[in-house]
Amino acid sequence: MTTKTRLYGDELAAFESELDALRVETLAQVGEADARHIRRMRGFVQGSAIAGRGLLMFGWGPVSWVAGVLALATAKIVENMEIGHNVMHGQYDWMNDPSLHSATYEWDIVCDGDHWRHSHNVEHHDHTNVIGKDHDFGYGMLRLSDQQRWKKATLLQPLWYALLAMNFQWGVAIHDIKIGRFLKGRMPRAEFRERMRPFLRKAGRQLFKDYVLFPALAFWQWPRVLLGNLAANLIRNLWTNAIIFCGHFTEQVQTYTPREVADETRGQWYLRQIQGSSNLEGSRLFHLLTGELSHQIEHHLFPDLPAPRYVQMAPRVREICARYGVHYNTGGFWKQYGGVLARIFRYALPPRRRLAPA
Amino acid sequence: MPSNQPKERVSIVRRVLRSPLLAPLNQAEAWSRLASALNPAWSLVESRARVVRVVDEAPGVRSLWLKPNRRFGGFQPGQHALLELEVNGARQGRCFSFSSAPGPDGLVRLTIKRKESGRVSAAAHALKPGQVVRLGRAQGAFAPRTPDQPLLMLAAGSGMTPMMSLLMAMANAGSGRDVVLVQSASTPGDLLFAAQLDELAARLPGLRRHAHASANRGRLDAPAIAALVPDWASREAMLCGPDGFMATVEAMYAQAGLADRLASESFGRRAAPVDPGAASHAVQFNGARFDVASGQSLLDGAEAAGLQPRFGCRRGICRTCQCRKLGGTVLNQLTGQLSGPGEELIQLCISTPQSALELAP
Repeated sequence: MTTKTRLYGDELAAFESELDALRVETLAQVGEADARHIRRMRGFVQGSAIAGRGLLMFGWGPVSWVAGVLALATAKIVENMEIGHNVMHGQYDWMNDPSLHSATYEWDIVCDGDHWRHSHNVEHHDHTNVIGKDHDFGYGMLRLSDQQRWKKATLLQPLWYALLAMNFQWGVAIHDIKIGRFLKGRMPRAEFRERMRPFLRKAGRQLFKDYVLFPALAFWQWPRVLLGNLAANLIRNLWTNAIIFCGHFTEQVQTYTPREVADETRGQWYLRQIQGSSNLEGSRLFHLLTGELSHQIEHHLFPDLPAPRYVQMAPRVREICARYGVHYNTGGFWKQYGGVLARIFRYALPPRRRLAPA
Repeated sequence: MPSNQPKERVSIVRRVLRSPLLAPLNQAEAWSRLASALNPAWSLVESRARVVRVVDEAPGVRSLWLKPNRRFGGFQPGQHALLELEVNGARQGRCFSFSSAPGPDGLVRLTIKRKESGRVSAAAHALKPGQVVRLGRAQGAFAPRTPDQPLLMLAAGSGMTPMMSLLMAMANAGSGRDVVLVQSASTPGDLLFAAQLDELAARLPGLRRHAHASANRGRLDAPAIAALVPDWASREAMLCGPDGFMATVEAMYAQAGLADRLASESFGRRAAPVDPGAASHAVQFNGARFDVASGQSLLDGAEAAGLQPRFGCRRGICRTCQCRKLGGTVLNQLTGQLSGPGEELIQLCISTPQSALELAP
């Protein structure tokens, strides 16, 4: 297990200013190429969605069904990860394009945009991997660190995880409602109802679109469309879940306590973002399908820079980390995802039953 | 009531068609993007125009002839519109006056002076025929107040553009109105539309022209205007040009007690000087936080803090910079009215803070 690196005094200040300088340097290059990229992605998503839904509605036979499912799943994945997630971070606000603005964008997923902007942009990005404050850590279901309490039900967490992965969009959607707090009686019923409303509205629309409207438009082909949409949503759920879990729950990732991060400076915040996140290595196409979340470290350092810039920044961040002796957690998909699964199994057991690491 | 039934049925049909449940099939934006993929000038939601030709009018001044799409909806002579261009990927807009009269071919002309630091004017000068731009709907009401009174037009620099539009419209209508045009520019070569004005003069029997080159004869000030047009006080007057020139003429009319005879149209920003001792207020805008002094517009303050809010006219007309104020009090610099403390829509360019503010787009 890698140990947590801490920097102090002048070294911390120098580390902070090097990362700040990288941000300023990259921001100065942001322009037309980034605008072209996000528009091209939107064109691709629209084309892929039309092709996918078209093949499901008007196609015949299993080959066109599989092709339709894959095209629709790709459209949903790229829309959620490359466009939705990044636009809602405000990465493209500088374009002054109202259809790509963080405050108004609404994505093709059951999670309501405003809920996401709070639970993700505020809670997760500010309090990354601070146990008890970052509700993305374990999604309120999984125990992934000894700082979290063990219960008997935790033994079954590999099963809970499989269910969460298959229904990930629902996990994300109910995340900001904080149902747990309501069930424990720590949230008034009125507030709970208020929090449920946008979720129910958005979920209703998404369910209607995928399981009523488009199947109905296909007339007698409706079972084909309905099952196709179900399959596309399942693929999207499994993929986004795997990528997102690889971002913060790999084996070498560090967690923090609220006391550790009190009075944190920007440099210390940078350090925590780096050590609380992990990257994935792969081809250009792989990065694209992850919405550049394969560069989770760079994304957490600079969440408001256009995501394609992370690819170019990564070697520089890595070099800076190497000089200051900060562990830069990266690896191929299977290595990192294997680590995530290992972590889920390991922390399913109570702390005393496990052998201390040698 | 049977008479109401058909009406109600339409509204239900409409409500169903507009229901978010039908998204994306009923989203004009989505269909519009598809249409734009076939032809960039097509749009169901935006007023856009294709550049038909570009003409150099004078050193650093270029005219764009544009063919707007059906969303444009026409214009009146003397009006202006927001031209939006992409400058290094970011959408930027400025208002420009039309310099042509509405014609049967549907073409419109914008005449744009290239400014030293003006990113939009530089991008406008780089446009080539065939390119597509966003052109907002026509705005403004710069026009003679009476149909037949003797008229005096005072134009300096690119302030000539709305005058040209008005004169062309008069010529098209066969007007015999008594019009004196005083046109000023720094050198004779900078006088806009010289050849076209010669042509217009042949069709407008009531038009008299005075050209003034300030490099030769000094700035066009009150005595110079009075010398050129002795009966200026008895004429209805229209004014357009740079800030300094407009301030001079406005003072001349105010002194004579004739301010109500003068209609003016100003370009660009007439930023009010800010009192250095003015109180400064914290403004929260879209996650950013900055200070704006009382007297300074929120738009100026946001730009000084490095933000790029959308804006158009910068004088409270076009509502491009309009945003939602969640809390705090602002003073409307145009009307002098104080806002309430609660949530309302404000225009950044003419609002100045009187307390700490919270804004949302």
